[in-house]
Amino acid sequence: MKKLTLFSVLVLSALIAFSGCGKKDKTTIDGKEVVMGFIYVGPIGDGGWTYAHEQGRKAVEKETGIRTIFKETVPEGAEVKDVIRSMIDQGATIIAATSFGYMDYVAEIAKEFPAIKFLHCSGYKMGENLSTYFGRIEQPRYLSGIVAGMKTKTNKIGYVAAFEIPEVVRGINAFTLGVRSVNPKAEVHVRWTHTWYDPAKEKEAAKALLDEKCDVIAQHQDTAGPQQAAEERGMFSVGYNSDMAKMAPKAYMTAPVWNWGPYYVGEVKKVLAGTWKASDYWGGMKDDIVQLAPITANAPDGAEAKVNDIKKKILDGTFDVFAGPIKDQKGTVKVPAGSALADKDQLSCDWFVEGVVGKTKGK
Amino acid sequence: MVNISKSFGEIKANDNITFSVNYGEIYALLGENGAGKSTLVNMLSGVYTPDSGEIYVHDKKLRFSSPGDSIGSGIGMIHQHFKLIEIMTAAENIIIGQKRSFIIHRKKLKKTINSISEKYGFKTDPDKYIYDMSVGEKQSVEILKVLYRGADILILDEPTAVLTPQETEKLFTILKKMKEQGCAVIIITHKLHEVMEISDRVTVLRRGEVAGTVNTSETNPKELTAMMVGKAVDLSIDRPAILKDEVMLEVKDLSLIDRDGIKKLNRVSFNVKAGEILGIAGVAGSGQKELCESIQGLERRKRGEILFRGEDIARLTPRAIFERGLRISFIPEDRLGMGLVPTMNIVDNVIMKDYYLQKSLFLDREPARERAEHIVKMLNVHTPGIYHPVNQLSGGNIQKVLLGREIDANPDFLVTAYPTRGLDIGSSHLIYDELNRQKMKGVGVIYVGEDLNVLLSLCDRIMVLFEGRVIGTVDASTATKEDIGFMMLGGKEC
Amino acid sequence: MLRMSARTDCSRNEAVIIRTSAILLALSAVAVFIMLLGHNPLSVYLSMIEGAFGSGYRITETIRKAIPLIVASLGISLAFRLKFWNIGAEGQIMMGAFGATFFALNFQNLPSVILLPLMGLASIICGGIWGAIPAYFRAKFRTNETIFTLMMNYIALKWLTYLQYGPWKDPGALGFPKIPGFTENAVLPAFFGLHIGWIIAVLLIVIMHIFVNHTKRGYEINVVGESENTGRYAGMNVKFIIIYTIFLSGGLCGLAGMIEASGVNKTLSVEITRGVGYTAIITSWLSSLRAPVIAIVCILFAAMIQGGTFIQMAFQIPQSAAQILQGMILFFVLGSEFFIKYKISIINDNKAEANQ
Repeated sequence: MKKLTLFSVLVLSALIAFSGCGKKDKTTIDGKEVVMGFIYVGPIGDGGWTYAHEQGRKAVEKETGIRTIFKETVPEGAEVKDVIRSMIDQGATIIAATSFGYMDYVAEIAKEFPAIKFLHCSGYKMGENLSTYFGRIEQPRYLSGIVAGMKTKTNKIGYVAAFEIPEVVRGINAFTLGVRSVNPKAEVHVRWTHTWYDPAKEKEAAKALLDEKCDVIAQHQDTAGPQQAAEERGMFSVGYNSDMAKMAPKAYMTAPVWNWGPYYVGEVKKVLAGTWKASDYWGGMKDDIVQLAPITANAPDGAEAKVNDIKKKILDGTFDVFAGPIKDQKGTVKVPAGSALADKDQLSCDWFVEGVVGKTKGK
Repeated sequence: MVNISKSFGEIKANDNITFSVNYGEIYALLGENGAGKSTLVNMLSGVYTPDSGEIYVHDKKLRFSSPGDSIGSGIGMIHQHFKLIEIMTAAENIIIGQKRSFIIHRKKLKKTINSISEKYGFKTDPDKYIYDMSVGEKQSVEILKVLYRGADILILDEPTAVLTPQETEKLFTILKKMKEQGCAVIIITHKLHEVMEISDRVTVLRRGEVAGTVNTSETNPKELTAMMVGKAVDLSIDRPAILKDEVMLEVKDLSLIDRDGIKKLNRVSFNVKAGEILGIAGVAGSGQKELCESIQGLERRKRGEILFRGEDIARLTPRAIFERGLRISFIPEDRLGMGLVPTMNIVDNVIMKDYYLQKSLFLDREPARERAEHIVKMLNVHTPGIYHPVNQLSGGNIQKVLLGREIDANPDFLVTAYPTRGLDIGSSHLIYDELNRQKMKGVGVIYVGEDLNVLLSLCDRIMVLFEGRVIGTVDASTATKEDIGFMMLGGKEC
Repeated sequence: MLRMSARTDCSRNEAVIIRTSAILLALSAVAVFIMLLGHNPLSVYLSMIEGAFGSGYRITETIRKAIPLIVASLGISLAFRLKFWNIGAEGQIMMGAFGATFFALNFQNLPSVILLPLMGLASIICGGIWGAIPAYFRAKFRTNETIFTLMMNYIALKWLTYLQYGPWKDPGALGFPKIPGFTENAVLPAFFGLHIGWIIAVLLIVIMHIFVNHTKRGYEINVVGESENTGRYAGMNVKFIIIYTIFLSGGLCGLAGMIEASGVNKTLSVEITRGVGYTAIITSWLSSLRAPVIAIVCILFAAMIQGGTFIQMAFQIPQSAAQILQGMILFFVLGSEFFIKYKISIINDNKAEANQ
């Protein structure tokens, strides 16, 4: 036994002697180092939502030179408070909480630490030091709907969705409007998973939709699970969050994707310049925060031309995804012709447009 | 075996032991419990490895690291507890664990077994299932198993402990046959008369050392006992007369069906007088345990009456009986599994039966401490202290703690099941004396025992149970071992 | 050839040496792993300790994490004393939190002094019943409590999921499935910078120690735990003892749930337990079921989790790697218990040598 003890001590000391330790230069403001903490709901390798934010974090490090820290797989419960506190404890001065479910906890902690700057993604609670930020992903979603609508033969498109919250409902509506703009007969079938990140569960939901004769799968999930389901069945798919071409080369057509880098870099620069103020950021395609990923060869002929046509209009501001007339599932006109759905109504959207098969409440 | 030593931690189980066994002889290893007999043969059979010393078989130095090695050298061990699979036949059990081939040649196998049986005089049916067998038959299968593997040195660990006198007789015949066929037989025992009856030579072990080796024909039980204990011991057991003729406990038509629907007791009726020791004999599992537990109130599924000084206590729980002021003490067969809590110290074990009489929510251990000290002194319990866990004491001292607690409660009635099992002669006699002392105080005693010699000399009457029925009750001063043995197998009183 | 034998003679000193070597070995094995990740093991270890105890705030955080662990471990230790393998702490915590939340949501106007004790009581009763159900079946029909309590966890989890997505869904959350937050009067007040759960935990440790060692009820539990037969023999009502002890065990776990819901989460969610119910099984085992030791082990465990979180951020070690690290330390420590109970000796494998 004594030999073992001695051995362990030797190994330990050898390891310590041989490993080096390096520190980076610090970026400071008023003598205090600026450190940005990122809280992720999934692992950085999810190939989706968290991955997209992680690219944003890397952009921050590269372009502003500040130190960043992150923590993966933080559940949307009270644990996020511990994580925020220990990030602050480790010197974080800006904190980006990148999931909707963190909202209440972030709002609570933000009051506790007025000197720290909080950015909460996709929520609706703001404060003196708490910004919300999001992008109009509906714009590229609408475009991806065009691709899906042109592709479907069965006129049934599957949509794997996480939670019945306005963000997701809005996305489904935009996608459906895109689909119906080119294929008025097509329906979008929705299936809820009640998770952002669960590759197996997401895949199962997609398979169930494929069993119901859907031939294109779209998703509002963080992983490429649904893409793989489509690939396995020889069907087609529209991704989300980031380019998923590698995960399903034969099925994947395109995806509405996030590009968080410009926003994060902009905010950090404001902090460094001392001009940061809590804001309610909601950028669109023209701000480059949301994009449509390159369209692959799996997409139908003519789709690219049609998409580019609408995209140009979106960019120059002459096209609004939620421009009337829009009817809900019962056929009631919700948005009359000549007007568009206001931002306020988009943020609390709890109804589906005509063409969606599914419910916004309950299972 | 030459200069064998083996230690377990601080304890030297075997110290420099040397002995030799010749082919064609029956050799006995005699010693009290804890003398190191089992350790010694376990090294021969490869279960343990000696710390030092050498083992020679056929003049070849061997080193066993597993039981398989030992069987390979022709040593076969018959353990006290059988290692048979109940749902297989004798033949299947015999070949189990044999590597040779996957396909079983049933006919050939049967032929081999039968030829071995014939050679040594076994009457075992190879196709009989183990669960249908009596203890004696199971033992035969165990012996056949090692013979089938080619063993010519046979070690039997306390082989008669579980047998009736008749079965013992049969076993001895077989062993003698083996001896004639040139096998070496080593028999481990603490029963003197068996040594005298069957062995050619005997080695006595005491506290891990060889106390002496003698030829059986040149010695007598008294000398052997003195070697075992280290001093001369009086082997006789007193039997004082019953003081008064007053029936204390009367059991009428007691029946009991267990959880699985098996009838364990069948219309048992008997009585015990104040100051009488009633012995209960029977092969293991004849209903002794159930009977004891019924009287004490532990068994609840019973029918019939148990009258204690005229009061029916058959429906009462142990605590209810206690609360009526009836003191029935019980020394169960399973000392550490029922009578005591092994990991607790003596004080906590002593307090077990009356702690609940204390008024306070908290437990006051002070009175128990005094009682524990009293018991340790009274029965001369060898323990490092009263706060020592009982499972670290030796078997005899454990039993003394249990007996001490039960007697210290000033019982009116005492039920004891195998109180001297596993105890050495010295401790056993201490317990017999204590039982007689209780008897003199007018306490009624039930003594469930297995050693017929003891039953015959200690008890006033002996009741024999067979399959839950009372076969008969005999007067201990006139009955013989053979009578009782016959009744234990279900035969009617002669 | 290796041979394994039970040891009965392991002295205190040897045990200390074995345990220390286990920790050192764990640290060196993990060090290799950390080096593969490209970090300096020593600085990672130092910052783990720093992250858990480095400042007043960090100590508070560590203790905050230790509180539910301590309360649940105490509960589990009671069941384990009876040799009732209660794997159901997870479910009992959830049901306890459910009971507390029921009062927190439906009696929002009660003052704290009344509401909080009510919540505590409700949590003990709910957790207790959740434990007593399998205990009843075990006592009455000898069902296997391990499987039973484990299954009860899933029922509790699905029940909370149902509430969160159904009847208790916060109407103000715009469709996001969450249960409304507690009002201020349903939140455990803070004392010395930490919710008063820590005082409850300290009190429970003392009470549990006295209960187990110095009361008649505690004595009965010890006897029945060693052997039900002995308990019956001594005249104890074994079935009743099993049921109420497990009720207490589940009740304590339930209380841990209330402390978490009210003191930390300020709401109920399916994430309420954070696996405490399972971790507490390990901590109560490692503490040999002794209440004062439970406190120490739980704090060390919490420190490991807290330190793990810290290094994850400080060194940008992935979550999974941090968990492997914790897992490895645990593996070695639990493994050392084997060496305390058994001895391994090396035997030369020469079966038959020729004479001389």
